Amino acid sequence: MTNSTSSLWRRHVLPFTFLLVLLAAATLAGDYLLHRLNLVWVGRYLGIPGTLLIIGSLVYSLRKRKYITSGNPKTLLTLHEIGTWVGSLMVLIHAGIHFNAILPWLATVAMGVNVISGMVGKMLLGRSREHVLGQRDHYQLRGLSKAEVERAVFWDAVTLDAMTKWRKVHIPIFIVFAVLALGHIVSIFLFWGWA
Amino acid sequence: MNRTVKLILAANLFVLAVLAFVYPHLMVGPGKLIPGHNTLESDCFACHAPLMGADSARCVSCHKPADIGRLTTVGDPVLKPLTSTPFHQKLINEDCIACHSDHAGVKRFRVQGRFNHALLQKATRDECQSCHKSPKDSLHQQITGSCGQCHSQDKWTPATFDHAKLFELDRDHNTRCVTCHVRNDYSRYTCYGCHEHTLESIRRKHIKEGIRDYDNCTECHRNADEHDIRGEYGNALGERKGKKDRKKRDHD
Repeated sequence: MTNSTSSLWRRHVLPFTFLLVLLAAATLAGDYLLHRLNLVWVGRYLGIPGTLLIIGSLVYSLRKRKYITSGNPKTLLTLHEIGTWVGSLMVLIHAGIHFNAILPWLATVAMGVNVISGMVGKMLLGRSREHVLGQRDHYQLRGLSKAEVERAVFWDAVTLDAMTKWRKVHIPIFIVFAVLALGHIVSIFLFWGWA
Repeated sequence: MNRTVKLILAANLFVLAVLAFVYPHLMVGPGKLIPGHNTLESDCFACHAPLMGADSARCVSCHKPADIGRLTTVGDPVLKPLTSTPFHQKLINEDCIACHSDHAGVKRFRVQGRFNHALLQKATRDECQSCHKSPKDSLHQQITGSCGQCHSQDKWTPATFDHAKLFELDRDHNTRCVTCHVRNDYSRYTCYGCHEHTLESIRRKHIKEGIRDYDNCTECHRNADEHDIRGEYGNALGERKGKKDRKKRDHD
């Protein structure tokens, strides 16, 4: 095995697989615990905080597209990754508690694909960042401060060609997920006994 | 996102939206309806009011409260009623959802078979025998009414009444309830229901001790031990006994 293949496996594929397996394991553990502690009803409501976390994590997308201008993009990306992972975990436990209608399950599958796609994006971003880091010297030569160099490397990494191509896949997946989830939420609002 | 992808996405989502309206029970319904409501499964608004959930007013448009437990929705007599006595006529209000859920997925989160007696009108709530039969054991066969003295309406067990707190049913008092509680009226008792205690003998004993108020026996006596005396006279007798003991010791 060459050095670069070993590095790809160790630094990107392994963490990606670990996060995915951890998500599945945490979902099964959460489901098991709720049943064991006779708290199945809690799972019924976990969809709400899960969805709110996912929506909240979209601040990063707004920042990236410059709809908002404040906030460190790198920090927001980290929050986006954590928020969507934890939010997805909550929604998966919520979905696992009951299997009833098709629409929410399609939304769950779309969310799963979205999470995997997001993790692929994270992996690609890491690779892109490494590539761009090689240009750090170039920036430093131009007399930029350390923080400015970090920011410039980040923006270069997210706009790299590979990332642009990935985004062309990730965004449609997200839209499908968002529309299906919205359909599920609207149907709940329409039929739930709020009184 | 290029135009083709957008079109494919839009077409797929449109198809899903159409399916949700044509087959709502499969696409958005939380599980199957009860067998009696099979015909309503694609008509969500037969039972649900938009944004308000299942609506009791829609239930009673088919299930007339006066007929529930007696007649079906088409007017035939109910051959195998689920309860021995129809009680829906005596509910404080028509809140069907408080007890009933139709979708299998919703039922799973409900405690089944639990009836909240607080939903009954007060007069009906106190008439336990109109719905429940007395247990066949020897104790309950002696009792009529007043279930609430021992049992709560939330749970049959544990029974909340401990007779020993009022009077110990020891071997000298191992008798039928009606001996002390005449006509099974548990709001009162008498100690003159047996041959052991007569009004004359009790009066004589108490006057001798200077006690004139002896109508409420269990105020001082909680068991067959006549020296175990509680309450005001118990304290007075205890003090007198203490003085006597001290005098005896001084004298010795």
